[in-house]
Amino acid sequence: MTPHTEHATSVRRRLLSLLLAPLALLLGTGILIDYISASKPIPIAYDQALVNSALAVAAHVQVDEAGHISAVLSPGAEAVLRSDRYDTIYYLVIDPRGEFVAGDRGLPVASSATRNPSYLDAVFRGDPIRVASYRTQTSAGPVTVSVAETRHKRDHGRRRVLASLFATDLVQLAGTLLLVWIGVRYGLRPLTALRDQIAARSARDLAALDVAPVPLEVRPLVHALNRLFETVREAADAQQQFLANAAHQLRTPLGGIMAQLDLLARDPAAAAVRERVLALREGSRRAAHTANRLLALARAEPSALVAGDIRSVDLRALVADAVAAQLDRALAAHIDLGVEAEVVRVPASDWLLRELLANLVDNALTYTPIGGRITLRCGNEGDGAFLEVEDDGPGIPPAERARVLERFYRAPGAPGNGCGLGLAIVDEIARLHGAHLVIAGGAEGRGTRIRLRFPRVV
Amino acid sequence: MRILVVEDDALVADAICRGLGEAGFAVDHVGSAERAEAALGSENFDLAIVDIGLPGADGLSLVRRLRSVGQGLPVLILTARDGLVDRVNALDLGADDYLVKPFELPELAARSRALIRRMRSAVSAQLTVGGLAIDLAGRVARIDGEALDLTRREWSILECLALQAGHVVAKERLLQAIASWDEEISHNAIEVYVSRLRAKLGAAASIRTVRGLGYRLDDAAH
Repeated sequence: MTPHTEHATSVRRRLLSLLLAPLALLLGTGILIDYISASKPIPIAYDQALVNSALAVAAHVQVDEAGHISAVLSPGAEAVLRSDRYDTIYYLVIDPRGEFVAGDRGLPVASSATRNPSYLDAVFRGDPIRVASYRTQTSAGPVTVSVAETRHKRDHGRRRVLASLFATDLVQLAGTLLLVWIGVRYGLRPLTALRDQIAARSARDLAALDVAPVPLEVRPLVHALNRLFETVREAADAQQQFLANAAHQLRTPLGGIMAQLDLLARDPAAAAVRERVLALREGSRRAAHTANRLLALARAEPSALVAGDIRSVDLRALVADAVAAQLDRALAAHIDLGVEAEVVRVPASDWLLRELLANLVDNALTYTPIGGRITLRCGNEGDGAFLEVEDDGPGIPPAERARVLERFYRAPGAPGNGCGLGLAIVDEIARLHGAHLVIAGGAEGRGTRIRLRFPRVV
Repeated sequence: MRILVVEDDALVADAICRGLGEAGFAVDHVGSAERAEAALGSENFDLAIVDIGLPGADGLSLVRRLRSVGQGLPVLILTARDGLVDRVNALDLGADDYLVKPFELPELAARSRALIRRMRSAVSAQLTVGGLAIDLAGRVARIDGEALDLTRREWSILECLALQAGHVVAKERLLQAIASWDEEISHNAIEVYVSRLRAKLGAAASIRTVRGLGYRLDDAAH
């Protein structure tokens, strides 16, 4: 569950890109169509006004008896013709041979043979213009009257239409995109809720996910996850069950052999072979010790915690039990085995911590000489808790401290006949609990201090 | 003191019977829960030592059945499993103690003795720890028939330790035991009472100090 999903497929990104890109295209096309259809009536209306002006000018065309064509506009009429707020108006009257009759010389003429009136876009005196030409029949032949205007009005009108279209369409576009974005976001909310539910779980939590709030589309996924959890849980249970059976099958005969050899060692009838019996008993004890350690190590696999028995554990009670359990051994060796503990509770597996402590105390008792001193401590430390076993034995040289955690490793010249698994078990169990293990020298530069720091307390 | 051993493994059963026999117990052995029930139904025992892994009904269900029919004799569970669940199950079901295999015979004998002692003290109000005889009802402790001269606080501490003989008793527990007579008693005061008790007990029984925890009353020979 990493929040880092840059390259992963994102349903939200897919939805947004699948919806937003076509929507943007659709809305853009809409704007274009709107613009074209809205700007069409404008030139038609303006062209019609030009033709009306041409017709008005044509009304002033006269042919005298000699066939001479004239078009005289009174100053008033010309003023009316040329009066316009935005544009400059031109006009031109030419006779059938194309000769100038009246108006503005050089004005381009729209001379379509088929259409009357006809139109032309041209440039006159440096300005773009629109020309409407109208052929009127006279006794002297067709006279062409052209009226033209600059394009200011038209451009202005088109810009205004365009601007208002753009404004409304942009609002519509933005609104649509926003609604899609919000919709996708809210639509995916059940998925993000599921993500949060999974993210909030502990890595070892294999309880089934709640299916009720999950949308139908994702349920198969959640069901698959739950089946996977179930399988892992069953596998972990099966492994722990197997180990429990293995423990039984190993320990029962070993226990029988040890007890029988104990009896035999005391039996007067076996006095002649007593030394050999004692050697056998020591051997069987070592085998039992190693079997116990191996089983403990196997049971400290992560599957042990998957099988699940994390609860609030009082370290002080564990420390007291660990001391009580090994007190006889300590008394026999005249070792002062004691406790400096305050009540502190950590989330942990009770029996795994017991196993851990048993190993630490066992180690300390093995390596502390007669008359030595061993102290178990626990208490609060910062936000967490610590658990510590200190002895005043020979200690572990700094160079050996990392290696003693390896399985079956025994420091050179280590006394006794340990199997080299004790600290490996301690390390394994510490890891399972997220506890930090430190091996240090004891106070006054002697002995060993093994300290675990638990990150959290209950 | 008669003990019924319920264990299906012949090697282990034989060792237990011989070992406990040498330690002075009368021992009978059966190999299944069903036969154990029959034996307990027809004869009297002071203690049952029950292995969890039995053919047929297992040791835990045997304990459950015994308790459900009101059979109150002490039960010591033998288990080859070290998981907490098994331990808790066993004790919850009414077992009085448990021992994980492989075990040492002297330890088994000591635990058996302690269980029987506790049971008898509950019935007769008489306790024996080493050379010390304690009459809980009469509030008298005797060594070789000679009553010890104890103050009330010394008696309370000895009683508390004797009821848990072989087990570490927390200092706080001892404080509570004498607190009814006194409001302000320091940990140091307990030490004073214990050292006086030690002097009075002599070699009959010993009170061990467990640094930082409390005290344990043992047979002197232990």
